[in-house]
Amino acid sequence: MLAGMRTDRLLVGLAVLLGIALIVVAVVYWAEPAKSLPSFFPGHRAGSNHHHTKHGIAAFLVGLACFVFAWFRTGPKRAAPVA
Amino acid sequence: MILGSLISYPRAIVLGLLQGVSELFPVSSLGHTVILPGLLGWNVHQNAPYFLSFLVLTHLATALVLLGFFWRDWVRILKGIGRSLRDRGIAPGDADAKLGWLLVVGTIPAGIIGLLLQDTLRKAFASPKTAAAFLVANGVLLYAAELLRRRAPQTETDDDVRIARRVGFPDATVVGAIQSLALIPGFSRSGAAMGGGLFVGLSHKDAARFAFLLATPIIGAAAVLKLPQLFGHDGNGVRGQAFVAAVCSAATAYLAVRFLMRFFETRTLTPFAVYCFCAGLAATVYFVS
Repeated sequence: MLAGMRTDRLLVGLAVLLGIALIVVAVVYWAEPAKSLPSFFPGHRAGSNHHHTKHGIAAFLVGLACFVFAWFRTGPKRAAPVA
Repeated sequence: MILGSLISYPRAIVLGLLQGVSELFPVSSLGHTVILPGLLGWNVHQNAPYFLSFLVLTHLATALVLLGFFWRDWVRILKGIGRSLRDRGIAPGDADAKLGWLLVVGTIPAGIIGLLLQDTLRKAFASPKTAAAFLVANGVLLYAAELLRRRAPQTETDDDVRIARRVGFPDATVVGAIQSLALIPGFSRSGAAMGGGLFVGLSHKDAARFAFLLATPIIGAAAVLKLPQLFGHDGNGVRGQAFVAAVCSAATAYLAVRFLMRFFETRTLTPFAVYCFCAGLAATVYFVS
């Protein structure tokens, strides 16, 4: 049981960290043109002034999903789900 | 080139009427929008920014029609999502909340794949010849979904309760991801989602309902994201035509969703599979010869 709780906390912690990281990534995509993105970011292209807005939206939405996951995971335990 | 002649009004009406029907019928709207101008010999460049801008409003119109048609369901679903967020969990028996999160989970993979790959896939496969070939594949996919489907037990009277009980979160992720096939002209979003629904054990009617609910945010968001394109430089010369096409698209989308919700109470995907296979094959032969 204790091990289960530890795994739960670990999952929640990871989800929150991942969520924060993805929101930061989203802001970087929105703020910086393709040429200024870190080279390991998908969409980085030397000399390009294009803003990868869609990449930013994708990162933001997944980040938000991570927060929602953490929110539910830390909620009160329920007996049985609908499915 | 005179900008006003990029897409004539009569052609805009035909494309709008076609878009409304083919977006919701499981026959690939994008495929038809690519194939039909090719068959009729219209000088329309499917990858040209003006044509993509023209299509934005027709998609938005379809999404608004779907939103309007399932308005009451969306209100219940959003309330359910709100309840689950407040309670930090989905209450047993709260079908609206479960369905809402199934839609969110299903939308995420389709949304991400769409955001990242839409332009690349459209550019790679936008020729009428490839669209026709993929329409044949769409027919095969629809028929395969019919063959492989699990029989759905008819228990609960409420559609949403049935869907919420039958579909799990992994299922919703798979069905959502399968929708992304529609980024390739020739494959149908609603067809892929309905096929996925049948595969996870939904009835035809429930699969259609789930597919339409799942399609609404994706089609709407994709259109809203591209709206600035229509009102910017790329929309010059096609804005009026896009509005006319959107009205036509809305009318046929409404008739299509009404028809399909009744059709799938008793019928299957097989007629659409046969149509896609035959029409795709005929178009392939035409374009190759």
